[in-house]
Formats: sequence, C-alpha cells, structure tokens
Amino acid sequence: MIRVRVFSALAILLSAAAAAEPVTIEHSIPPGYEPSEAQDEQGLWMELEEYERTLNQSALLVRDPDLNNYIKGIVCRVAGDYCNDFRVYLVRNPGFNASMTATGMMQIWTGLLVRATSSDEIAAVVGHEIAHYTRMHTLQRFRKLKKNAAAGSIIDIGISIFTGTSTPLAQSIGMMNALAFSREQEQEADLLGAQLMAEASLDPHAAYRVWEHVIAEEEAAAVKRQAPGLFAQTHPDTQSRVDVTRDWVTARYGPPDAESVADDKLIQVLNEHYYFLMEDQIDTNRFGRTKELLERHSEMGVEPGIIYYFYGEMFRQRADDGDRQLAMSAYRHSIETGNAPSDAYRNLGYLHLKEKELDAARKHFRAFLEREPEASDRAMIEFYLTE
Amino acid sequence: MRLARYLMILTLASLTGCVTGYTLVQPGVQSFGSMRVTVDDNWNLAPARLTPSARKQSRTWTQDGLLLDRLTIIPAVADGETIFVSRNKSAALPVFHADMLPNEVEELVESSIVKLYGEGQSAVSTSNLRPQGFGEHGGFMFDIEAAITESPDYRGSVGAFIVDDQLYMVLFLAAEPHYFDKHAARAEAIIKSATLTMKTIRRN
Repeated sequence: MIRVRVFSALAILLSAAAAAEPVTIEHSIPPGYEPSEAQDEQGLWMELEEYERTLNQSALLVRDPDLNNYIKGIVCRVAGDYCNDFRVYLVRNPGFNASMTATGMMQIWTGLLVRATSSDEIAAVVGHEIAHYTRMHTLQRFRKLKKNAAAGSIIDIGISIFTGTSTPLAQSIGMMNALAFSREQEQEADLLGAQLMAEASLDPHAAYRVWEHVIAEEEAAAVKRQAPGLFAQTHPDTQSRVDVTRDWVTARYGPPDAESVADDKLIQVLNEHYYFLMEDQIDTNRFGRTKELLERHSEMGVEPGIIYYFYGEMFRQRADDGDRQLAMSAYRHSIETGNAPSDAYRNLGYLHLKEKELDAARKHFRAFLEREPEASDRAMIEFYLTE
Repeated sequence: MRLARYLMILTLASLTGCVTGYTLVQPGVQSFGSMRVTVDDNWNLAPARLTPSARKQSRTWTQDGLLLDRLTIIPAVADGETIFVSRNKSAALPVFHADMLPNEVEELVESSIVKLYGEGQSAVSTSNLRPQGFGEHGGFMFDIEAAITESPDYRGSVGAFIVDDQLYMVLFLAAEPHYFDKHAARAEAIIKSATLTMKTIRRN
C-alpha cells in the first residue's frame, strides 16, 4: 500500500515535470565502455561474462539467422554509436520480456515478437534495455545492495541483477525482489529509451503503446497472473508508466502523427516464423491471452491461413461448450485459404472423429498424409484410417 | 537391545545427512490402485517431498537420481483433473477431458511438462505418436524432448490409455544422451507392461 502511494507521488511529479519542460537524459558512459579498476565492478563483469558463456550453450537460444538478424538490426539502429557494445541473444520464451546486464549482454524473449504490433514497439523495449546499460543502473543497484548485504554474497547475487520478470539465474522471487531495478530507474529507462528512438528516427510514441498492449492482454487473460505479480513489484504500475511516458513523449516530440501501423518487415518475420513462435504460446495453456494475440495479428495482416489454424488450436485447447464446432470452422477456414499448415487437415480429421463423422475424418487424415508422408505420427493416423 | 542399536544407526545416519527417504522398488508386479506395471529391475521410489508436483496417487521412480532420470506412474486421472499439481493458482495447468483423443493427451502432456519445469524456462516437443496396447486396453505411446534452462536436455517416452473415462499414464524422462540411453529400454518395458488389475478388467 505504501509502495503504491509512493509511486503515485513519483508519477505525478514526473508527469508534471514532463508537461512543463521534459529534461534530456544523458548517458553515463561512452560507447565502448570498459569496467573501471574498482574491484566490485571487475568482479561483477567477471561473473557476468561467465554467465554469458553458459548462456551461449543453452538449447533455448534461437539460432535462426533471419530472426537474429532482424532483432540485431533493431538493436543497432536504436543503439547508434553503442551498437558494438551489445551481444544480443534471442531466447525461446513465450513471455513478454527482455533484459540487459552491465556488460552489454542483452536477452530478448520470443514472446516479444508476438506481442509487438510494429518493429518500433520492439525498438521501444530494446531502447529501454539500452538505457539501463548506458545509465549504469546495474552497477548503481549492485553498490546500493552491497551496503546492506554481507560482502561474501555480493558477487554471487550481482549476476542476478536484470531488468526482467525472471531470469535463468534468478529463479527466486525473494531474490528478484531484492535485486530488481528501482521504479525510478525503470522510469528513467522508459524515457531515455523513447529519446533513443527519436534520435534513431523511430516513433517514440511506441514506447507507451507497447505497454497498452500488455494491459489489453492482461485484461483478456482467463487466468490472471498472481497478484501482486513479480512484474508489478519490480516495474512501475503498467498504466502509470503508460501515462507518464505518453505525457513526456508528447510534450517533447508532439502528438503522434497517426495510429500505429504494422510494418512490412515485422509482418514478413511473423509470416515466416509464426508456427514456431505461436506453438510455444499454445503450450502455456493461456487461451485468453492467445485469443487476444490472434485478434491482434489478424488486424495487423498476418497470413490468414495460419491465423485460422491457431484459432482452431486455441478453441480446441479451451474446450468450452461449442468450442469444438468453432475449432472445426477455424480449421476449415484455414484450409479454404489454400495456405493452411498440414496439421489443419489432421486436427480437423481428429475433430470429425470425435463427432463420429468417420468418412470426413478419413478424408482429412488422407489429405494430411498426402502432404506429410513422413509424418512421425503416421502410424496413429493409419490406425484410424483402418479402424 | 537390537532396537536401541537400530535407533543409534538411524540417528548417526541422520546426522551425516545420509537419510534420503528413497525406498527400494523390487522386481515383480507393482500395483497402484487399479493400475499395475511389471518391473524386472530395482528402482528407487522418490519420497513425496522431492516430487511436490506429483499427484497424491502418482509414484516417481529413479535409477540415478531425479535430476538424471525419472519414471512417473500416474493412475486414474478423472475428467477435469490435471496430471501434475501446482500450489500456484495462476499456473494454468491444463486439465484432462474424458473424450480426449491421443493427439490431445499428447498436447496435454506437452503443456503440463512446460508447467512442471517452469513456463518460459522450458521448450517441450513431442513426436512419434503411435498405437500401443496395454493388456486388453487400446492406448498409445509417444516420444518427448525437453530443453530446459540451466539444466541438461531431457528425452523420454510416454504410454497412456483411457478406461472408464480415466487416464492412466507412465512417463519416462532422462537426461540426454547418457542417462536416456542407459535406461530407455527398461523404462519402455515398464511402460508397455502397464495395465489394469483383473478386477477392473472384469468390471469392464
């Protein structure tokens, strides 16, 4: 309760300042920064570099060159002269997050790609992370903690300082609460991130639009995140950060020219990698959120054949009354586009089987096997064809 | 006198941290309510405190330790129930429906294992869905692969069948490549031996 009141006061102050005369936020370090000779900073860097070597071996890293080039292109555009300071890792995780260390190791989750409605919104999240780096937030936080913690444990916990909701090395909620950036640092990163976007000729209004989508998704969720969620505890209240950032960006750069429109590059990336990206989202069993994302992607203009297929998957997973018929209809629409994934035929076949419509089931099973003669579940499909 | 000696040994073992709570599972037929499997080797039954995600009726066995290999026997999951449990109410564990077809049980397991290892901390895929008989009951098997943060990759196989609207399942997962190769054959033999007790079969 106290935290909410304190942050509300901060938001009002920042908002008032933004409306009057938005200040320019300066970087704390130059491009190509190397750690000072201070023992604690040297130790922190050493631990983070060791962690990065481990991360490099992770099976959860996305190695696809197209996806990596797309993300690295955005990072370098926002980073400008700082581009060579960063190593970017695309991590297979359906959640919404990115993180940055003091050494310039940036992690971006694949869930960000299915939540952004434009490349500018991805750039907004990237700009926020770069701001944490150039303002040396990690080292500041590390030194603040050092004053209050046993010296022997400092280096161990230092590597857990990231910006996100959770990290591979920071599974403990208690640990993350202790180590997360302060809300003031998060706010500063939001505003400097928007500043970096404008300097790169990107739309700074994307800095708050991306959070409006987060709010919309949370409202659509069938199962809400645990409250108060870790994300809420380590980041400013989402609506407050939208309001403060919108006021600051509008005061500094003027109102938005137009509503955000999905760019061709993001649509191309989603069309080429949608199946891979959305399969992980389906595995979360969070069908309320999945439905919200599908509606968003449909409006953006992602290939309808694959959108309809995932509507079928979502309805089938939700399994409410009438959802089987909705799923069958979605698979049929997918097939009618002429651009359906092969699995649409198989899954429609399974649903006809449940409806005891055996001829229709066999027809779609055969269509699936014609398209995927080497399918790993061929034996199961053939079992139903001969049953 | 013998009791006093036993207690002293137990106390000493506790002090040295050697008491793990594992119980030896001996070769032969092992029953879990109406479900049974046949075992031809020794396994170690993990204590419940080490398997907090397991259903009360489930049993988890291992050869070399839970982080390296585990065989989980999950009997009688009823309609609307989950195959694992979670204290986290926002975990959104998927539930079993009695009318599920093999592909849907495959998806149920895939999503459940994502939750077991932590949403966002794992990527799970399944393959080779195929028919498999379990005694007199028709069922299916499939293979599973899981990449998990800060952990070795896992590989395994699953056997399952549905009788009287209840799901019966045996799930094997082991670290790649050594521990999967080491135990895959004996785990598959146990999976394929799964069936229901005679009493249940007669009732059907």
